[in-house]
Amino acid sequence: MMQLRSTIAGRIALTAIATVILVFLALPIVVILVTSFSNNAFASFPPEAWTLNWYKALFADGSKWPAALSLSAFVACLSTVFSLIIAVTAATALTRSELPLRSAVYALVLGPLLIPQIVTALGLFLLFEPAAMLGSPIAIALGHTVLASPIAVLILIATLRGIDERLEDAAASMGANRLTIARRITFPLAAPGMIAAAIFSFITSFDEFYISQFLSSVDTVTLPVQVYNSLTFDIDPSVTAVSAILIAFAVLALGLVALVRWLGSGRQNSLLSVENTVGVATPGGEAV
Amino acid sequence: MAATLTTKAPAPPRKLLASRRTRAGVLYALPVVVYLLVLFVYPIFSTLFLSLKNANGSFTLHWYAEALTGVNLSVLITTLRISAETALLSLVFGFLLANAISRLKPVWAALAMLIVVVPHFISALVRTYGWIILLGDKGLVNETLAAMSVPGAPFQLLYNELGVVIGTTSMMLPYTVLLLYGVMRGVDRRLLAAASSMGAGRVTIFRRIYLPLVAPGLASAGLLSFILSLGYYITPALMGGPNQTMIATLINQQVTKENQWNGAAAQGVILLLLTLAGLLLVKLVSSLGASRRKRSAS
Repeated sequence: MMQLRSTIAGRIALTAIATVILVFLALPIVVILVTSFSNNAFASFPPEAWTLNWYKALFADGSKWPAALSLSAFVACLSTVFSLIIAVTAATALTRSELPLRSAVYALVLGPLLIPQIVTALGLFLLFEPAAMLGSPIAIALGHTVLASPIAVLILIATLRGIDERLEDAAASMGANRLTIARRITFPLAAPGMIAAAIFSFITSFDEFYISQFLSSVDTVTLPVQVYNSLTFDIDPSVTAVSAILIAFAVLALGLVALVRWLGSGRQNSLLSVENTVGVATPGGEAV
Repeated sequence: MAATLTTKAPAPPRKLLASRRTRAGVLYALPVVVYLLVLFVYPIFSTLFLSLKNANGSFTLHWYAEALTGVNLSVLITTLRISAETALLSLVFGFLLANAISRLKPVWAALAMLIVVVPHFISALVRTYGWIILLGDKGLVNETLAAMSVPGAPFQLLYNELGVVIGTTSMMLPYTVLLLYGVMRGVDRRLLAAASSMGAGRVTIFRRIYLPLVAPGLASAGLLSFILSLGYYITPALMGGPNQTMIATLINQQVTKENQWNGAAAQGVILLLLTLAGLLLVKLVSSLGASRRKRSAS
């Protein structure tokens, strides 16, 4: 805080505290990555010997993991498509047009990010149970879209706000019609934001637990629900390998977003600035 | 003819354009509004109705009376207590870390922020599992403490409140760090320099200048992590014992195991009301902070 007169002792103390807190944040992740290669998968650290058995066990006969993984991937793809359709139209409405009740629409979009997910999940359960849609991958994807679409909308609002509207006006003044403007001007500039929105929608659906648990049946178990079941009911050592794969997957997805942002920054700066990503990571950031 | 056109023309096209933009806006907003009304707002209202309905369909407050007495009441109190502990700890740690990061060189600050943000995007289930491995009797933490021959080691760090609070704090920490970092970056450092130039000591500057400037941010961050903890399920369910049952766990049990939907609905509504009250407070605090900033600027 007081750069002007910070003492060396103070600096060292603060750095030490910061390091401890950062270790606190990173340690659970590092420990899973290491344990997934350990020959004793249960709560022994550091490992005595190394093995790939848990990864092999994932794809052994009778393993539940491949089915859970493919269901989660299918649901996440479906949910990504739904939430992109919703987000592109919604972000256009909120940034490029006169909208009556604009703040009400905005509040509605933020709602799913602020309401406890268990409440949303309970409501969806009460909606889909009478319709006999429990266990349907479509129902799970529709439910996930409730959580994924607000994030996609926020990313695309930031993207569209970052595009200079005068470029679109200039194209219009030279006789381009609206479709041409969208295709030739807006879409290429918004593409990095749309890819980021798609990736975040996918992760949101892929990692979602509450809605999946309420809407799943015995045959349709998504990956997070299977992980939870393995941790509570049947102790399955390959859960460490699954967790490690999930970590690698999340890091890969974030790397992809960063890459797209870096590639897109050549077209127009600040399409996906740190502030935007931070805003996405902070529900209620708008209120602060 | 040409003269009349130029004098009359501007008004109607602009009106036409405005109404066209409005129509386009409504059209584009339709998917998100319809979707969320059907799959978000309507389910919440049906939860509300269910919580007020008897078995024969008549109006009752029975489920709320049940949710606020006996074991259910103690679960609610546990939820509030664990959320408060989590909020306090993530606020203190978040403040220290955000403060340290805001004073680092840009490269190090970016690296530190990466360590804060990346875990946030990794499934909470996975991170909870990581804590279970770390905090077990033979886990890294207890082994380290035993190796340092700390008296009393190994400690019971799992399946009690300590375990739950460690877990939930690590889940909420990214939120508080990000929020507080933003607030701290917004502090005008010239104010601190000015106070220092007028002979104020470090403690005085911190207490009289810095703390009042970041106070609204601190309040919002604390409230937000409190609200987010209220509805938390995964970590308390996996890292807690029977005494750490939180309201979300109870809702889940009632739906999946006991088929007690009305009771679950009433608890869902109570959780919702607590959250909305918290959000209202956040709003109040942030508008208070905005008016204070305006005053200090003028």
